[in-house]
Amino acid sequence: MSLAAAIAARDPDLLPSRRDEDWRWTGLRELIRVVPPASPKVASVAGHAALAALGWPTLVFANGHTLEEASIAIPATGKGAFVRRFVSASDGAAHHVEADVSVGEGGRLVLIDSFEGEGAGYVASAALSIRLAANARVERIVLLDDAEDAISVARTDVDLAPGASFHQTVLAAGAKRQRFETHVSHPGAGVNVRLDGAYVLTGKRHSDQTTVVAHAGENGITTQLIKGVATDQARGVFQGRIVVQRGADGTDARMAHHALLLSDRAEIDAKPELEIYADDVSCAHGNTVGALDEAAIFYARSRGIPEAAAKAMLTTAYLGEVIERIVDEPARELALAWLTGRLERLA
Amino acid sequence: MAAVQKTIDTVSALEAYEHGFVTDIETEFAPKGLSEDTVRFISAKKGEPDWMLEWRLEAYRRWIAMDEPDWAKLSYPRIDYQDAFYYAAPKEKDGPKSLDEVDPELLRTYEKLGIPLKEQAFLAGVQGSPKIAVDAVFDSVSVATTFRAELAKSGVIFCPISEALRDHPDLVRKYLATVVPTTDNYFACLNSAVFSDGSFVYIPPGVRCPMELSTYFRINASGTGQFERTLIIADKGSYVSYLEGCTAPMRDENQLHAAVVELVALEDAEIKYSTVQNWYPGDPDTGKGGIYNFVTKRADCRGDRSKVSWTQVETGSAITWKYPSCVLRGEGSQGEFYSIAITNGRQQADTGTKMIHLGKNTRSRIISKGISAGKSTQTYRGLVSAHPKALGARNFTQCDSLLIGKDCAAHTVPYVEARNAHCTFEHEATTTRLSDDQLFYCQSRGLDAEASVALLVNGFVRDVLQQLPMEFAVEAQKLVAVSLEGSVG
Amino acid sequence: MLNISNLHVSVGSKPIIDGLSLAVPAGEVHAVMGPNGAGKSTLSYTLAGRGGYEVTGGSATLNGEDLLTLGPDERAAKGVFLSFQYPLEIPGVPALTFIRTAMNAQRKARGEPEVSAPDFLKRVRAAAANLRMDMDMLKRGLNVGFSGGEKKRMEILQMALLEPRLLILDETDSGLDIDALRIVSEGVNAMRSPDRAMLVITHYQRLLDYIKPDRVHVLAAGRIVASGGPELALELEREGYDKYASSSQSVAAA
Repeated sequence: MSLAAAIAARDPDLLPSRRDEDWRWTGLRELIRVVPPASPKVASVAGHAALAALGWPTLVFANGHTLEEASIAIPATGKGAFVRRFVSASDGAAHHVEADVSVGEGGRLVLIDSFEGEGAGYVASAALSIRLAANARVERIVLLDDAEDAISVARTDVDLAPGASFHQTVLAAGAKRQRFETHVSHPGAGVNVRLDGAYVLTGKRHSDQTTVVAHAGENGITTQLIKGVATDQARGVFQGRIVVQRGADGTDARMAHHALLLSDRAEIDAKPELEIYADDVSCAHGNTVGALDEAAIFYARSRGIPEAAAKAMLTTAYLGEVIERIVDEPARELALAWLTGRLERLA
Repeated sequence: MAAVQKTIDTVSALEAYEHGFVTDIETEFAPKGLSEDTVRFISAKKGEPDWMLEWRLEAYRRWIAMDEPDWAKLSYPRIDYQDAFYYAAPKEKDGPKSLDEVDPELLRTYEKLGIPLKEQAFLAGVQGSPKIAVDAVFDSVSVATTFRAELAKSGVIFCPISEALRDHPDLVRKYLATVVPTTDNYFACLNSAVFSDGSFVYIPPGVRCPMELSTYFRINASGTGQFERTLIIADKGSYVSYLEGCTAPMRDENQLHAAVVELVALEDAEIKYSTVQNWYPGDPDTGKGGIYNFVTKRADCRGDRSKVSWTQVETGSAITWKYPSCVLRGEGSQGEFYSIAITNGRQQADTGTKMIHLGKNTRSRIISKGISAGKSTQTYRGLVSAHPKALGARNFTQCDSLLIGKDCAAHTVPYVEARNAHCTFEHEATTTRLSDDQLFYCQSRGLDAEASVALLVNGFVRDVLQQLPMEFAVEAQKLVAVSLEGSVG
Repeated sequence: MLNISNLHVSVGSKPIIDGLSLAVPAGEVHAVMGPNGAGKSTLSYTLAGRGGYEVTGGSATLNGEDLLTLGPDERAAKGVFLSFQYPLEIPGVPALTFIRTAMNAQRKARGEPEVSAPDFLKRVRAAAANLRMDMDMLKRGLNVGFSGGEKKRMEILQMALLEPRLLILDETDSGLDIDALRIVSEGVNAMRSPDRAMLVITHYQRLLDYIKPDRVHVLAAGRIVASGGPELALELEREGYDKYASSSQSVAAA
């Protein structure tokens, strides 16, 4: 039961539906009557100025295929940075892509995964995996820039060896249906996981960030901060699950999701879950949904800042908290530029 | 009689579940199993009008076509719905009777449970407690309802629902299943087909019910399920506080309890509904026996500014599946849910609430305190939603879980659905274990391990205990201590 | 400069300000004193233009211009500044960014050029030094994690930088220890000038030891029930508000 299986078999009955508990807010079967034909191979895609400006090695996947036979060597140790672009280039077609990243012992990697829609009305699926050897560190920024009428589902499985750290920030602009899943198997053992995200949704866009972190060993740390804004008739979904398995004592897990609704026709759905089978743990989650703080707007206005500017300032600050947690400076600048660009469309 | 006494002695020696005795009383059963005939049998026993029988049969036919839900974090063997009695009642002589005529064996049973069935009696152990009217439901029938005459003076109707169907058919028909529709869920549908008794309450406009009302549910007969139905209507500007208690004997078999409780609050009315659920939880070591508690409780805050508050102390049952909810329809209506759930031994509980905000400026508050000990599993499951028209809706949820021991589990599954820009939802949840430092501190002051746990847990649940009527709070506090016995080495 | 005439204000449907009249000429400092619930905060919020305070009658003008029809930011651009009793925390917006945004918004509204970054920083440094504030505090989220005293200093810093014409101090002394009170008062006194008016709203006389008023008004049950010189504040300190509470009731009843 997955989008990938449905694309492969061109069988809509294999799509997850709202009746599946994990897809209650992102049903696909209700949306896709007929699975579109396979996307054609394409020879080139348009450039991406902001990514090109980084000057990092870049791998391009177009319609599920690598564009050129390029491979990027990730240093076993030392630092690396690269960009992967997953471009959906054709209209009304479907494709699935799989890609892996392994980082060797003690390696350092900054990874930018950019999902881009050049085409319209496509159906895109991705299954990615990231493996970190002992003491490896990865900071990953994900940009979800799908077309407004696209359906896009991506899943990443993250496997971590002791002493590793995996930090991720997912920035989502939504699509007709957009889902980004991250599944982390957390060995405990001093491993530090940060799974952050932000979404800015306008029009009728939908975006779903789903995370599952399974703590299997002792003394693991997980922190999550997901913040979003939805206006018009947009819909933001966050499903987070932290599992602490038997014996994973000393786990410290904190999950927070905060969202702003800027329109009475927008919607936020959230399910921040804790599933705990060990007693020596400290786990917490918080969830808030609401409008911008009227008192803060008034305070800013009483200092002479016009209402629209006050709201923009507060919204930027609200989401900026997520961006500030990005450690790598070029990546943070890129994320900030992305956010600023998206927020401009909000006004 | 000697056998009963022996059982009582054995149980009190065990102390863990003090309500585990059996009352030796002659009982009349429906034929075992579930069919249209069972439904007809029950309806006939109650002398119900034809429309009620038809309503039940319709529910039964719908139920056969439904599937048992499996989304809860509960695991139990499939229930054989044909291997149970759906009606069991103490044999009685003809005609209605006064309190004085109730079988003395039953009176003794309730006395032992600490439930006053004499109108001059007060709740055991509490000095100067106010009057409490009690409806005592024993297996499938109500055996006594106290203070009815006094309540009638204020126009309050408090009687078994079977009687209400006869004496106040219009009221029952107007409200029954309007909060929990027949086919709402599998267990509610089953209940609609076979419910046998329960309480009916009607508070007329502007009346503040002069005393606490309470229903005490007792499952006694072996191999029997209890399917009660409670309907409470608070008319405009009225107020009622209602308490519900439940116990059952210790048995090796699992017994099914599938109740439906419907509350209707009209304009400016307020209902406070408190439950101390202490069904037999099963054997703590083997997990054998215990009640399967599948209950649908829902309140409809139909009128503007109406208010319903659910307070529950859940310590019993082998399996609990229960989500007392509020539909906040009236403008400015309020819903509250205060819960303490304690699981120990091999108990499993999946419990929480739903706050459905439909009206403008509706408010809700959820405080849930879950304690898991032994090898038990507990899940808080809650939904807070705001409809596009529920402008100004506000919810605050605080949901804390406490783990005692290595083998228990605690889960938190909140669902939040916000559909307008003028609602404010806040949810906080924590999961922690009992702090070693605090335990040590208590012990260093001379408390033993269990007393220390009881003290700390009582502190943990204090916010909720305060919501209970005073008479029940004392009871609940003791229950907390007893439920956790054996939870620390 | 500030002219309030027969002002009526309701919150919800409850009338709070009930026929209040008050004039504060340029160059003067007027204190408004009153018991809890007299309508002091309502007066300050109404003048600043907070939502939820419904003006049901009367007028308030600044240099002859109607204030009440303007949005809060427009009033600020005209020179109204309210020092909040409980200043807000705004996470994610550094104080420097906030003040600069406000300053430039006001200048833009008045058709003045934006202030340059170096010039702005120079002004901030000077003002912060006067208030003994650390520049690091200004780089963090506005008021986030600040003590009560630090928040009040931040208000005065904003006041000094935005250079308003009408200063409204709402219970500025609340939550201040004696040292903070002195620093804050010095900051306020430095703002006194012939082309500024100041309205000091306070429950206690203590603040007026530091910020000397030209006139003192007693606010009770939504209107000014007595006015006098600074000696009136001392009398209130000695005798309390009881006298006015009863007289205002009789006025209201009449």
